Amino acid sequence: MEGDCHYLLGNINARRRVEFVRNLLLEIGLEASRVQMFNLSSAMGGQFAEYAAKLTEEIRQLGPNPLRKDPLYTTETSTGE
Amino acid sequence: MTGNDEFAFEPTIVAFCCHHCAYAAADLAGSLRLNYPESLRIIGLPCTGKVDVVHILKALEDGADGVMVAG
Amino acid sequence: MIIAEQKPLDEIMGLLGSDERVLVVGCGTCVTVCFAGGAREAAIVAASVRMTSKLNSVPREVTDVTVQRQCEWEYLDEIKEQISDADIILSLGCGIGVQAIAERFPDKWVVPGLNTTFLGMPTEQGVWIERCAACGDCVLGITGGICPIARCSKSLLNGPCGGSEDGHCEINPDIDCAWQLIYDRLSRLGRLDALLELQPPKNWSTSRDGGPRKITRDDLRLAAEEE
Repeated sequence: MEGDCHYLLGNINARRRVEFVRNLLLEIGLEASRVQMFNLSSAMGGQFAEYAAKLTEEIRQLGPNPLRKDPLYTTETSTGE
Repeated sequence: MTGNDEFAFEPTIVAFCCHHCAYAAADLAGSLRLNYPESLRIIGLPCTGKVDVVHILKALEDGADGVMVAG
Repeated sequence: MIIAEQKPLDEIMGLLGSDERVLVVGCGTCVTVCFAGGAREAAIVAASVRMTSKLNSVPREVTDVTVQRQCEWEYLDEIKEQISDADIILSLGCGIGVQAIAERFPDKWVVPGLNTTFLGMPTEQGVWIERCAACGDCVLGITGGICPIARCSKSLLNGPCGGSEDGHCEINPDIDCAWQLIYDRLSRLGRLDALLELQPPKNWSTSRDGGPRKITRDDLRLAAEEE
């Protein structure tokens, strides 16, 4: 968790870098929400599964990364709902 | 995802996880038999402080649909 | 060291135009230390340009390489093959590096990826402050090691001015008044009398006022080989 990092401030530094990348993605022309940071403790197995599902759903809404080289799927079929 | 369309879009997400918290949490989710999407490709790190801008960009440039940093 | 910062990606894309093969050249000296143009930044810029180009369907082949110092011929010669293979060079060196590439490779188009900002130092990681104006006639021996040329907004030689408020500059309250710093330091060291010594007017001809500058040292120049 933030403020409770094993290396004290590691995850706070990480969050700053993630913010940098999110801004850079906007300049590049990709959605910032493709990159997200979550804070967890080692006891939060349930939350991990929850965050993973939430992020997967958000990215499914965004659709495939347009930079992907060999799409094996069609882009129209899934809307997630 | 609804339907069983085999070509339906299933995202690939690279998850950079701190060995001391998020990676252990992912382990715990497994031990608890909790389901989470198979979209995640987990990469363990000694600390999320190790995550570099270059790593995240590389994941996206090589086609990952999303990146999770957890710790 | 020389401090620089990266230009916005939009501007870089504009400078690259439609040239296909791009070589991003980082520099391993000052701009590496200020995180603007080293190997890591060259990799980030190259990836960003590749991704932006692909999203806009612009054909582009981007590679990156970093030399020890862009401002010396010897280091540039190490990458001459890569330079000759490229249509355009995106230099992540300071303004000197960009010009060194242009001069060494007269037929190659080179554009800057950085804005060269000032001569300074980091006061903490991620924060850089100007410290020297390269005026060519150093006064630090009189002012206790604090430069009024670079650090006073007005470059005053007889400050502080009336705009010094509680030790801060009226131009920008984030900036300490250089003359307050000078006075405090000399006072603490018991050397205030240094300020009483009359100084002749500063010779600004050694600064930019005298046009582009050049130093020649015959003791270091190599004798020309006779034919």
